[in-house]
Amino acid sequence: MAMSEVEMMKRQTALAAAGKKKKPFAATFKEMYLGPIAAFVLFISLWQLIPLVLGLPHYILPKPTDVWEATVSDWALLAEAIRITVFESVIGFLLSAVIGIGVSVLLASSKILERSIYPYAIILQTIPVVAVAPIVVIWFGAGFNSIVVISFLIGFFPVISNTLMGLNSVDKNMDELFTLYNASKWQRMWKLRIPAAMPFIMAGLKISCTLSIVGAIVGEYVAGIGGGNGGLGYAITVAAIQVKTSFLFSCGIAAAILGISFYLLVSLFSKMMLGSWHESAMKSEK
Amino acid sequence: MKIVQDHAVYFRNVSKVYNTGTIALNNFDFPVEEGEFISFLGPSGCGKSTALRMVAGLGSPTTGDVTVFGNTPEDLIKNTNDIAFVFQDANLLPWRSVLDNVLLPLELRGGNKKEKKEAAVKVLEMVGLKDHLTSYPRQLSGGMRMRVSIARALAAKPKLLLMDEPFAALDEITRQTLQMELLDIWKKEKMTVLFVTHNVYEAVFLSSKIAVMSARPGRLSSVIDVNLPYPRELAMRTDPAFSKYVDLASASLENHEPRKETV
Repeated sequence: MAMSEVEMMKRQTALAAAGKKKKPFAATFKEMYLGPIAAFVLFISLWQLIPLVLGLPHYILPKPTDVWEATVSDWALLAEAIRITVFESVIGFLLSAVIGIGVSVLLASSKILERSIYPYAIILQTIPVVAVAPIVVIWFGAGFNSIVVISFLIGFFPVISNTLMGLNSVDKNMDELFTLYNASKWQRMWKLRIPAAMPFIMAGLKISCTLSIVGAIVGEYVAGIGGGNGGLGYAITVAAIQVKTSFLFSCGIAAAILGISFYLLVSLFSKMMLGSWHESAMKSEK
Repeated sequence: MKIVQDHAVYFRNVSKVYNTGTIALNNFDFPVEEGEFISFLGPSGCGKSTALRMVAGLGSPTTGDVTVFGNTPEDLIKNTNDIAFVFQDANLLPWRSVLDNVLLPLELRGGNKKEKKEAAVKVLEMVGLKDHLTSYPRQLSGGMRMRVSIARALAAKPKLLLMDEPFAALDEITRQTLQMELLDIWKKEKMTVLFVTHNVYEAVFLSSKIAVMSARPGRLSSVIDVNLPYPRELAMRTDPAFSKYVDLASASLENHEPRKETV
């Protein structure tokens, strides 16, 4: 998984480099942006027209204007739900990053430890989070704690598997260089393995950040509580029961925008971390 | 052990057989005196890199033994900075600047921070990279990267410099410049150099002595003393004496019978 992500980044870099000749803005615009914008406008227009033509009521298929109205009128509700979900997923993500990297470094520091524990980590990873969620609720109670734990659980494994792969894929010559200078195990870890694993760790974090939002929303479905403390997931369940379809769309779009923003933020962080040296960070990432 | 103190490196009947049954090195017996510039010259598969790696403790002989300044390579690696190794590719850490790459061996050994930096800047000056301290490896050309790699090897003041085809990937012009610089450094620092190459001209130009090796099984086929004066100039390459050594080394590469050559 990590490898393909890294490979993809490389390929994109190559493509970006190939296409990077100075062109006038109009030409770039025509080539790069005109298509997507036209498609977007066409899509929105069709979406607006079809319910009108077919006479579909707004609770079956709301028009873009209905969604917009619902968003504006229930903005207070939506904003609060977003705030809560962001808070939960950020904490879940940070936990999965810190614990994931920490556990990986620990596992990688001892071959025996890695061989003994890693297979079980893989098995745990294959259990769908939705299946575990009720157990989490029994253990941590309904509400914030459970939601954060579920968000953490879903983001944790991509970090572990990527980080471990990175820590174990150090160039053989560099490893020998450290042997020649009689480096200790932890010198090797801090000065060689962790820096060499950075691109992998960043790829893991990028996967895990969007998953942590999924985790938070799933958590809110299962463990969400009302009283102004439910996030997007809770708002979605309530809106579904009340058949507020337009508001459902608002929530869905909000969740998507949240995911994209979070991903872009982590990408920016990754670019800063890899900065001057790694090729995937040299040209703008997509 | 006392008897061999004046030898920088001593290969005693060294053989190396890999698990696959390949005989990488067969009865390799070769002394290297301190201050010499030795090239291991031979085709691929002749065990020249295997021999070099043993000197650095990156592999041990199946039979026979290798001593470096009278000690085992492992002991020297553990307790001293006497051995440095330059790999075929520059092998720099891409996340470290030029200066930090050169600082690495000093960092790993511990010590005074300011002194280490001074030492690193000094060797970078020696290889002509004083103006690139903060550059990153990817911003440098292949030749410059190799210079950083050499500077890193020199930073800890080794007594023995091991080089595994360091210039093989460089273009001819860069290679010539680096060869000249390497000879300067060798004279200035009074080190012993073991240099692995498959390039006959390179071996003759650099070395005080050439160990010609042949493949299948890897073994020493002849030893050529190159009695050309130092400092060596590029113009020497067209000198008849130079050609004579090139012919000799080439002939010896083709001739698989072990023999001893001195001119």
